[in-house]
Amino acid sequence: MSQKILLVEDDAATAEFIAKGLDEAGFTVDRAANGRDGLFLATDGGYACIVLDRMLPGLDGMAVLAALRGAGLETPVIILSALGSPEDRIKGLTNGCDDYLVKPFAFAELLARIRLLIRRGNPASGPDTVLRCDDLEMDLLARRVRRGERAIDLQPREFRLLEFLLRHADQVVTRTMLLEGVWDYHFDPGTNVVDVHLSRLRKKIDEGEPRRLLHTVRGAGYRIGIEP
Amino acid sequence: MKPWRSTTFRFAALVFLFQLVAAAVLLLGPALLLRSQSHANAVTVAETLRDDLLDAYADGGTTALARAVDARASRGIERSTVLLLAHPDGTPVAGNLDHLPSGLIPDAPYTLVKLVRPRHASPEAVLLQSVRLRDGSVLVTGTVVESERQVIALLERTSLIALGLSVIFAAFAAFVSTRLILNRLQASVATLRDVREGRLSRRVPADPTGDAFALLGSEVNQALDRMAALNAELKLATDALAHDLKSPLTRMRAALDRAAQHVEDPLAQPFVDQALTESDRLMAIVETALSITRAEAGMGRESFEACDLPELLETVAEIYAPLVEDQGRAIVVEAPGHLSLRVHRQLLDQALGNLVDNTLKYGSGTITLSLESEPGGATIVVADQGTGIAPERREQALRRFTRLDEARGGWGAGLGLSLVQAVAHLHGGGVDLHDAAPGLAVRIRLADPLLSPPGTVPPPRR
Repeated sequence: MSQKILLVEDDAATAEFIAKGLDEAGFTVDRAANGRDGLFLATDGGYACIVLDRMLPGLDGMAVLAALRGAGLETPVIILSALGSPEDRIKGLTNGCDDYLVKPFAFAELLARIRLLIRRGNPASGPDTVLRCDDLEMDLLARRVRRGERAIDLQPREFRLLEFLLRHADQVVTRTMLLEGVWDYHFDPGTNVVDVHLSRLRKKIDEGEPRRLLHTVRGAGYRIGIEP
Repeated sequence: MKPWRSTTFRFAALVFLFQLVAAAVLLLGPALLLRSQSHANAVTVAETLRDDLLDAYADGGTTALARAVDARASRGIERSTVLLLAHPDGTPVAGNLDHLPSGLIPDAPYTLVKLVRPRHASPEAVLLQSVRLRDGSVLVTGTVVESERQVIALLERTSLIALGLSVIFAAFAAFVSTRLILNRLQASVATLRDVREGRLSRRVPADPTGDAFALLGSEVNQALDRMAALNAELKLATDALAHDLKSPLTRMRAALDRAAQHVEDPLAQPFVDQALTESDRLMAIVETALSITRAEAGMGRESFEACDLPELLETVAEIYAPLVEDQGRAIVVEAPGHLSLRVHRQLLDQALGNLVDNTLKYGSGTITLSLESEPGGATIVVADQGTGIAPERREQALRRFTRLDEARGGWGAGLGLSLVQAVAHLHGGGVDLHDAAPGLAVRIRLADPLLSPPGTVPPPRR
């Protein structure tokens, strides 16, 4: 059974494209156009994740979130908002949301974050010390990387980059997620700084290999995995 | 500024002068009054005696006068009286002086002379007048004022000493009164300084005295309340603007996203990609413009967090290293081992990113990120070895939407350095552009809010 997502968004056009995208990604989507309907549907339960617009008519997103958490509901919530200052994010995160995405956003990033939240809610049996993707293997304890029989020599920053990608294998990872996740750097310069890092990593991983593992997802970011 | 133009200086001078004048009047006045009173009394006594003797002379001539003089001089009841009747050649005829005092001008007003009376060891001050009689004889009358003069001299000496002391007291009074005024103004000044530094919630403490300073404090508070209200309106306006701009941009980007996935015509693909890139650029401009407005309005200080600056510089260098290396250049960090400051992390990341980005686009040679620890804060310097910016264009470079090199395209909209400046101001500092000989050095000064307790924040060094 596909996982259910609740989308609370008053802007019909935005709601439409998000719902369509999520549907194409294999989720079942319930929609609410205002805070009250959203709250009603959310408390009904059964959702894997709630996508909540912050500025809603009637009952705004923060009030819906407060009511949900007040009722003891722990469904992961990702807030969508045009307000993107750190203060706004901090307010959202301290009020109980699990992630905060600023508009305008790439749908691929929203999808990546939703998947991350759902996976975080169902953690694996313990922290991995060896990460794998196809014949690529990363031993975190020995700090060794191999592709099949070939040992790959990585610089520390390339090692961290690959680790982040492998921890999100088969998901789209955006430039912002990489800058924040790998370097704790909260600004996307817009220049191709991340692409250059990734292209260097790609050379070491994929060059001379019959199957490419590191893919660029146009207009969104990157994905590590077997070519679909 | 010339110190005498300062109101505080003038006030201090006025207090000093008034104090001094008051002390002089109080201290020297009685002595002067006493001196004049004593003189008048002595003259009156002498004149009464003289008139009396002249009456005797008028009635009985020189013989009667000589008797009268002797009678009064020998009576001994008027010890302070000086009398002498002398022949025209100065030989004494009668009286209690053994010679005619020299220097006396006949018929002149009473004159103070020093003379030694018979049976007296030391000279005494005497008020004397000589009258030439019809037959040429000379009648000298006078009053001894030695003891009064001594008392008055003592009084004058002590008054002068007291006046000297009163100069010190007046200076002290001037100093204390100006300090009092400065101290009373201090609360308002400190509050305004804090507000300028971005602590917008600061207000002048309540003052129950109801005096002019309390009124000033109350007016300052009301002005700040008004400013806070306008700031809140600005925040609402920028939030509304952000929302109104970002919602359609979200939809536009989503539409382009989908178009990019579904467009099959290879000729159309680059156009869709370009549109996507431009929508991201537009968004970046809107974001940066909003960030500058918010930072300049002092919003965001609540997001300050402790940050290890050398670590941050290393991170920036690491992120940009591949791009720098691709240009055949190097990026180095020169920073002390550890220096933590409370900063707005996201805005500082953005400011440093903008500067390194600028050196990649417009500079050349090695890029140096350095950190200098300073009392109360730190200075981050981003320098390259390129052609730099001419001194006369540096101010222009910091203005919004200014691009010094229009010929070069690129991502930005001339907001990079403006944002750096806004971020520095938010941190109680400023930005200077320097000649790195060769190249440009951008110095960002940051004040540590923890090292500057409210009321003692150093003014920004612009």
